[in-house]
Amino acid sequence: MIIKIEPQSDIPIYTQLTNQIIEGIAKGEIQAGESLPSVRSFAADLGVNMHTVNKSYHQLEAKGIIKIIPKSGAVISSPTQSIDTVSQRMSGALRSIIAEALVSGLEREQIQELVSSIMNDLNKKE
Amino acid sequence: MSLTIFLIIIVFMAGIQTAIPYLVKRTVIFGVTIPEQYLKDRTLSSYKRTYTILVSFISIIVLGLFVFWTLRKNPSEELIVMAGAIIQFGIIFFSMSLYFYFHGKTIVFKKKHNISDNVKHVQITDLSVRSQDEMLPWYVYLLPVLITVGLLGYTILKYDVLPEKIPTHWGPNGKPDAFTVKNPFSAVTLPLTLLVMQLMFMGINIGTKKSGIKLSAASTNASRIRQLTLRKYSSWFLFIVSVFLTMMLSFFHLTTIHPGLFIDKAMVAIPFTFLIIVLLGTLIFAVKVGRADKQTAEDPKSDITDIDEDSYWKGGLFYFNKNDPSIFVEKRFGVGWSINFANPMGYLIVVVPLLVILLLSFL
Repeated sequence: MIIKIEPQSDIPIYTQLTNQIIEGIAKGEIQAGESLPSVRSFAADLGVNMHTVNKSYHQLEAKGIIKIIPKSGAVISSPTQSIDTVSQRMSGALRSIIAEALVSGLEREQIQELVSSIMNDLNKKE
Repeated sequence: MSLTIFLIIIVFMAGIQTAIPYLVKRTVIFGVTIPEQYLKDRTLSSYKRTYTILVSFISIIVLGLFVFWTLRKNPSEELIVMAGAIIQFGIIFFSMSLYFYFHGKTIVFKKKHNISDNVKHVQITDLSVRSQDEMLPWYVYLLPVLITVGLLGYTILKYDVLPEKIPTHWGPNGKPDAFTVKNPFSAVTLPLTLLVMQLMFMGINIGTKKSGIKLSAASTNASRIRQLTLRKYSSWFLFIVSVFLTMMLSFFHLTTIHPGLFIDKAMVAIPFTFLIIVLLGTLIFAVKVGRADKQTAEDPKSDITDIDEDSYWKGGLFYFNKNDPSIFVEKRFGVGWSINFANPMGYLIVVVPLLVILLLSFL
């Protein structure tokens, strides 16, 4: 799986990493049980600070997406949190985005279309 | 004999110096990052050509004069050695001056064309690239280390048999020509020096393995092949050098303990063979790596380009990047590796062993 970062972007690099790893798992490019590279080699391959990668890994761990196991590294875990907790968290995050979309002038249908097109894109096998 | 050895080394070195612009990573010209669409530019091609023609022209003239002078005047061995060394440094100095000249011109070219202002700069990596890495594991390097430890033990056992004068230098004929007085320290200086060198080679291999596999966003495949080839062949080359160095120095050391163990002819042949192996290895290495990224055709992507690392490369030669945990990075002008000067580990692996070796040879 290719990871692509833009150092000049306004989005911090660790967020870019987190987002891309999550998307990679959603697309099935990496699966539960597979492990991510070590912090050192990941940072070296990208030429970024080790703290950046570390921060992203901790973010992913907090979301329950990976498990950091001492000595064997970061392993992608299968979903562990209950559906309720996840829906609650997602609803909070989606709410503000949908609100922004409505305020910016998108219609209900347009938002629904947008969501399903993103879903299709994530489901697409390469 | 000295003339032949120097001729081989100088011809070889001049050959590599001449070819460097065509062996380096294709997106870096005289130490300056140039995006894909400008790589075939005529001005840049003419810089490379001019460099190559000038370096080869000067080298041929100097070599011709060297041979002519040696055959005509029949100077002493020492004078030949001295002249040979001066010529080597001269060619390096000349090609480095030319490098800086064209480095400057390429920077001006890049500024003039406003390269890299309107495209997105990205850095990429592939999560699976580490599994394709074919570098030798570090423990392979233990093999020559074990031999040296054995040699060390054998020397201590045979201390009484050792001659009163311990050789410290060997001439081109394989015979020792400088000596020091025997004492428990001078008896083991050679195996100890060898050991430090082997450990340094092992450290370099480990450090290289931990360093980044740098992929280019604009030409992902070509850069992947080049990085993997460079890593694989440099670890093999280092290992082969370590093994043959061990063999050569062990032969010399065993001859000190048991004079006449090997026939004289072998003693002449061994250093010569070592030289040939190292030069051939360098040649194969340079060609393999130099060609690695020139064979796959890739359609240039116009909307993105690699992040411009020029600010980390001082003079296009020295890499300083505090953020990058890599210990070694691929050289920009030449084939091989360069230290990340902002990472203290690099100094530890390279400078400390060299200091220890210097210390051993002066004590």
